[in-house]
Amino acid sequence: MRQRRSWLVVVLMVSVIALSTAPAVAETRFVFANESPYDTMDPHAAFDVGRVAVRLNLYDGLYRWLDNPPVLQPWLAESHTVSPDGLVYTFKLRRGAKFHDGTEITAEDVRYSIERILALKKGAAALLATMVAPNTTKALDKSTVQFTLTKPASIFLAVVPEVHVVNAALLKKHEKDNDWGAAWLTSNDAGSGSYMLTRYDPALGFIAKRFAGHFMPWGPKYIDEIEFRLVKEDNTRVLGMIKGDYQGTGGYLPNDQVKRLREAPNVKVIEQESMRIMMFQVNNQRAPLTDVNVRRAISYAFDYDGFNKEILGGTVERNPVPIPNNLWGVPKDVKGYTYDIDKAKAELAKAKTKVDRPLTVGYLQGFSQTEQAATVMANGLRKAGIETKLVSELWPAMVERMKKPETSPDLVVYWISTYYADPNNWIGEMFHSGQWGTFKASSFYKNPKVDDLLDTALKSTDKKVREKAYQDAARIVVEDAGGVWIYNTKYFGPWAKTLEGIRFSPIGNGQEMRWVYYAK
Amino acid sequence: MRLLALALHRLLWFVPTLLGLLVVTFVISRVIPADPVALVAGETATPAQVDALRHQLGYDRPLLVQFVSYVGHLVRGDLGTSLYTTRPIADDLAARLPATIELTLVAMVVSVVVGIPLGVLCAVRRNSLLDHALRVVTVSGLAIASFWLGIMLQLLFAMRLGWTPLNGRLTGFPPHGITGLLLVDSVLTWDGAAFGNALAHLALPAATLAVPALATLVRFTRAGVLDVMQSNFVLYERAMGLPRSVIVWKYVLRNALTSTVTQMGLLFGILLAGAVVTEAVFDWPGIGTYAVNSIIRSDYNAVMGFTVWAGAIFILVNLLVDVAHTLIDPRERTV
Amino acid sequence: MSGAWFVLTRVARDRSALLGLVLILGLVIVAVGAPLFATHPEDVFELHPAKRLRAPSAEAWLGTDRMGSDIYSRLLFGARITIVIGVIAVGASLIIGVPLGLIAGYYQNWFSDLLMRVSDVFLAVPQVVLAIAIAQTLGPSLPNVILALSVTYWPWFARIVYAETRSLQKEVFIESTAALGASPWRLTALHVLPNIVSPIIVRASIGMGFTILTAAALGFLGLGPPPPTPEWGRTIAEAREFLPDAWWYALAPGLAIFLTVMGFNLLGDGLRDVLDPRLRRGRSASDG
Repeated sequence: MRQRRSWLVVVLMVSVIALSTAPAVAETRFVFANESPYDTMDPHAAFDVGRVAVRLNLYDGLYRWLDNPPVLQPWLAESHTVSPDGLVYTFKLRRGAKFHDGTEITAEDVRYSIERILALKKGAAALLATMVAPNTTKALDKSTVQFTLTKPASIFLAVVPEVHVVNAALLKKHEKDNDWGAAWLTSNDAGSGSYMLTRYDPALGFIAKRFAGHFMPWGPKYIDEIEFRLVKEDNTRVLGMIKGDYQGTGGYLPNDQVKRLREAPNVKVIEQESMRIMMFQVNNQRAPLTDVNVRRAISYAFDYDGFNKEILGGTVERNPVPIPNNLWGVPKDVKGYTYDIDKAKAELAKAKTKVDRPLTVGYLQGFSQTEQAATVMANGLRKAGIETKLVSELWPAMVERMKKPETSPDLVVYWISTYYADPNNWIGEMFHSGQWGTFKASSFYKNPKVDDLLDTALKSTDKKVREKAYQDAARIVVEDAGGVWIYNTKYFGPWAKTLEGIRFSPIGNGQEMRWVYYAK
Repeated sequence: MRLLALALHRLLWFVPTLLGLLVVTFVISRVIPADPVALVAGETATPAQVDALRHQLGYDRPLLVQFVSYVGHLVRGDLGTSLYTTRPIADDLAARLPATIELTLVAMVVSVVVGIPLGVLCAVRRNSLLDHALRVVTVSGLAIASFWLGIMLQLLFAMRLGWTPLNGRLTGFPPHGITGLLLVDSVLTWDGAAFGNALAHLALPAATLAVPALATLVRFTRAGVLDVMQSNFVLYERAMGLPRSVIVWKYVLRNALTSTVTQMGLLFGILLAGAVVTEAVFDWPGIGTYAVNSIIRSDYNAVMGFTVWAGAIFILVNLLVDVAHTLIDPRERTV
Repeated sequence: MSGAWFVLTRVARDRSALLGLVLILGLVIVAVGAPLFATHPEDVFELHPAKRLRAPSAEAWLGTDRMGSDIYSRLLFGARITIVIGVIAVGASLIIGVPLGLIAGYYQNWFSDLLMRVSDVFLAVPQVVLAIAIAQTLGPSLPNVILALSVTYWPWFARIVYAETRSLQKEVFIESTAALGASPWRLTALHVLPNIVSPIIVRASIGMGFTILTAAALGFLGLGPPPPTPEWGRTIAEAREFLPDAWWYALAPGLAIFLTVMGFNLLGDGLRDVLDPRLRRGRSASDG
């Protein structure tokens, strides 16, 4: 008897211990399967679409892009004024907004943030550095911050959401060797966003829980805990969605996968016009691509319909100009090139420079769609009589190669997503000769007339003037066959059927979780 | 005495060998045309900004200076900082090591527990149907591309049957760990769900990894047992009339096992090499994927760090195996 | 060369070795005659996007891939690549490793030690990792894969030759021949080489299998010859995206690899049994 009772006591004690050490379960959870790793939590270290969830959920900017078509909304700033010469932007911050550690957000934090971005030289720094110089931003008082641009730039406002405001005092505390707290911030949280970081592992992803004190009011329903997880394989993400392991994943999956998701009973696919062009950049500075006829031949050699309609199952729209079809600034009368091997051969015959070597066609490792596009291009070029050599690199390595005309492949296929909703994000950064050295400008195109048009568009704040300038520039570039533009993506976002409130914007791709909830 | 001399001799060569390995890796990693500093600087950085960052990180110094500086840090235990994750490589490796160890250990246990008895059985029932069948099976096991095997297992068990998860180590984040080995931790924290979850995730990758190791073990356990069985002293015992089972258990097994044990070093090598590809297929967050990713991303420091660590372990294990080999069988001349 | 005939007849008597030989011969025939055996030989380059991912049928015996090309025909041409990689890589390793091993084994001095330590260096890191590093550095292509594999495999030949040469040194007939004033070259060519041919052949056969597997792994990781080359490992990687529906796409190249490597392993085993029963002992441990 006594033996049995003492065993009972032991069992009870163990159960009590076990239960008390069992982790508390969050009320509602959301898991997103992401195709790229979250290798840093520092919002100033990355600018890419793959890691946007960190910036959107853990941090706030002065303004924010929301919805589709994207609209710039006041966020941490309530309003702003611009000086008549277009150089001085003064923002008024809202009061009472707090960081995750409870301290108030002030203009000094905003000033520190822009200086940090410029000092670290990563992420959006290159873009911002063309407009803002270090040590020119001022915190006029606790809630007023003033930017003084180096020259008038109509895109400054469009880019200002990328100045994510970090907790200056907190970072100063963790500073080591003048690193602006960079070493600490890779794995920690210095933000004010709707969610607070609770766990992070660069090999796995991150978990964040709701920040009840966020300045934006929460609705009656929300998600308590969000997890963004690295799941590299397309197939795993799809199967995970179907099984219910994940409630959301990236919306640019291949067509075969989208079809499977549509058929799954617990998944809904949200379809939206997006702005993400897939194209081949053509190295305009390297012979024989210096010859416009050769470039035109290449434009005639790609099987657009075969790729868009067959391989991608008709889920994308042919986009013949270097501006997304659904954005302003597109010359609607331009039809662009078609798949016509005879025309390609005719152009080659007209060309003054002969193609006497194989052309290198670059694609991205890990992105099978680019591999397939490169294969289709190689096939067409072969039919037209041009030999090719396919080369692949990881995206960062390809970016690096594309910075110099000597190292960039002859053709490179990739996408240009929406970093900010303005034609300059595409045609401006792609074809202005001053942009050489950035990954978008690997066309190494140089045309003074186009430069003029693009400069006009950047300086003016009159939308009509800008629209005409972009349309004219697009016409010239298409005539010049400066690149091969394949399609504009649609967004096919798989989400758990029970989710509501998803707000998709081409910038952010619907990964801002504060609006989303489970409808019961 | 000879053993001591051998051990000392090998130990003396440990440092130069490691250094040689470092030089080879250093040269390889610096000769890479891709520029990891540019990777770090980001997509929108101009060449001028990249150069500034390069100077800031010290990558514009002459190669020899960089190498010496690296070795200097190494001696102090500093493996450097990963260019890609900006975290200390030692931390990165430590974080990922338990995943690979757990996978390798489970695979090793499976191969040993299944392989050695099978090998003995084959030897004892030599040329029987079982022996021939197993011979075919083991040769097949060594002929299958492990990445393909992994994919086929995924196809059957995860996709078609739904019995196991597709990949990864655990669904979601692991519970806060003590050892980092999920099976052990979940037992220590009495978390049955986590244990089951971890085990389910381990099933396919461990099976994939175990196949070549198992095949190898069966083959030379069989060979080892056969040798012993034909040796003189066993013949003597048999002539003396000892029953076969006793001979097998008392003498043959013990001798064959000792020879097998000394081959553990090689088993370790097979498993570690297999782990690299298996981890890639199953998205296992271990050292293998870390190494491959670092190479592909041209993360110099991470590649060097991994090489130093892996090389040191390998050389040590080989040394131990050679020493053990001489210990067991002084007649054997070691290479 | 009556020795070769002797070996061949002995091998033919061992059923599994015979199977291995048959498999290898089959591979060679298929590779050489690919244009004849292929139903759609042009599909090595041609794309038919409208016919993509079709199940096996009368028109496409193993179905079509993601570009609509015939999987069966591409598989046959892939055999050519496999053979080329295997033969050249193992051949190169042999050409590098054997002489080095001979020299190290003959002159028992600092050079021998150095060579063994250098080969330790190459063997210290898992060979797959080393091959990946080299292939990634040089860029994915057929010659680079072969180079990467040769660089990682030569130590095996060097070590075997070194060990055999060293043990032969102690043999009386070598010592006496040397005492009689024979030059090192003569000694090596006439006396040492014939005795080490057996282990080299065995190692080469096993090495082919291992090299082909590693090459396929490199192709799978994207480090092999670029598209549209129908390399087997690369095809498996392409097929992954379309599982579980188009399962034949991933199954076929894997089976091809399996049969090929099986052939070389079986032949290697058979050769080992015939050529040197002594080898069945400790050496089997150093399988690579």
